[in-house]
Amino acid sequence: MKHKDFVLHLIGEAAHFMLDSDPMRMVISLHQEEDGLHLAILDDTRRGEAELQRIRTDLNNARRPELAGYYGSMAGSDVLGSARLNLIGWQIKHADVSATDSGTRIDLWLGGDRFNPAAFSIPEGTD
Amino acid sequence: MIWILILAAGVSGILIGGRSAVTGFLSLQYHPARLLQDFAASVGVGGALLNAGLVAALGLGLVHLAGIQLSGPTLAAVFTMFGFGLFGKTPLNAAPIIAGVAVAARLADRRFGEYILIALFGTALGPIVSLVAAELVPGGIGLATLAAILAGLATGVVLPAVAIAMLRLHQGYSLYNVGLTSGMVAVFVAAGVRAAHPDLPPVGVWDPAGTPVLEGAVVITSVVLVLAGMVLGGHGTLRRTYGLLAFDGRLPSDFCDLASVDAALVNMGAMGIASWAVVRGLAAPMNAAVAGAVFTVIGFAAFGKHPRNSWPVVAGVILTAIVFGKPLTDPGVILAALFVTTLAPVAGQFGPVVGILAGAAHLLLVLQTGAWHAGMTLYNNGFAAGLVATMVVAIVEWYQANVSQRDRRFTR
Repeated sequence: MKHKDFVLHLIGEAAHFMLDSDPMRMVISLHQEEDGLHLAILDDTRRGEAELQRIRTDLNNARRPELAGYYGSMAGSDVLGSARLNLIGWQIKHADVSATDSGTRIDLWLGGDRFNPAAFSIPEGTD
Repeated sequence: MIWILILAAGVSGILIGGRSAVTGFLSLQYHPARLLQDFAASVGVGGALLNAGLVAALGLGLVHLAGIQLSGPTLAAVFTMFGFGLFGKTPLNAAPIIAGVAVAARLADRRFGEYILIALFGTALGPIVSLVAAELVPGGIGLATLAAILAGLATGVVLPAVAIAMLRLHQGYSLYNVGLTSGMVAVFVAAGVRAAHPDLPPVGVWDPAGTPVLEGAVVITSVVLVLAGMVLGGHGTLRRTYGLLAFDGRLPSDFCDLASVDAALVNMGAMGIASWAVVRGLAAPMNAAVAGAVFTVIGFAAFGKHPRNSWPVVAGVILTAIVFGKPLTDPGVILAALFVTTLAPVAGQFGPVVGILAGAAHLLLVLQTGAWHAGMTLYNNGFAAGLVATMVVAIVEWYQANVSQRDRRFTR
């Protein structure tokens, strides 16, 4: 596994966020490609459109290298207070947030400049 | 606008000091810088202002060169560099440390911009460079300068690794993370230096009178920031500034992003005026160290501090000083009353009572920690506060996991 510690921190923070809403079910799925990886987190918590939009905003925030390289290292390493998705957002390429039939799905795309999420090999509709 | 403020400080220094400002500035480059130095008392306020302006210009120039936007954290870094340029940082003792962090970035295959905050705040260890250049190495200025540069480079290289580890210790509840970082590094350096030089003399210059020029600089900067925020934001600025008070301030809280640039500027000015009022209220002198502390508070008012999360920790320091009979004008007390605002997120997250207790613990600790590192880090308060925040986090975390949620705990 490439960048194991980095991935572990991202999974930790994302799971922290999902667990804040006390779900009965949470699934974490990781798929690795040559130039990047896809992390999908699903739970059974239904969220309104306003909250989904807030999550999208936090995860797709502006590029802040000075925060990503330093404070981004806090992702997944603290348990006090609420989860902070902006710590993840500074470090990933892109995030999709959507409502599923039973809850919420967050897709995180990580990778180098050559990585193209659109060409990723995960079959459509995989939950 | 920040360039204008820095330029104004440097030009004021030359206008006030004339030729002696330049000679004073030059002499500071080979001047001992360990805590607690008052550059205004040592070489005159003109030379101190010129030095502070150039140190801040170095920081702001690097921010621009690295292609990093000027926002909450970078404003905090530049104001902190200016403030400590009045009592410890010089371009000569800062540059090798910054270069060392750049080397670390290269080793980690990262862009310098990713570590720029560590580099700028890491100049707190400038006294190590000055110690080697001005106090330890005999044999001429050339050899001393080379040895000092190497010491600074080595110090800078280790900073990112330690800074990231320290961040996870207190989980962002102390805003001066590099304070804890540099304290850790300085304790080891001091141990090594004392092994070779057991009779390392303490240094210290504290001006009990203060200077009206620095008081004017604090007040004018604060008023300019408030006015700039009001002009920039227009109608609604005060409402946005009030909304900013809802944030707990935990790292990283960039108020320029979370609230707005105009609200952040007004908050910076308001915190400057509030800090000035605290100094006045305690009848403390506005000397270089105190003015440096106020400028640091102003900078961090764009990155975590505001009146609502700051007052409890300040109250904790003042009440504890009164309880233990310490004079409120004592250098350690007045500096702690200003720099303790690094613990503002503790009050912001856990409430004013925990904030007051944290402030009390901070004062008791900070009066001891200076001796641990022999003044080799300028962020002595940041070091002590980082330890306090780590203790608070450990206790609260244990309490939440084992006491308040014990009915939800799984047992084997």
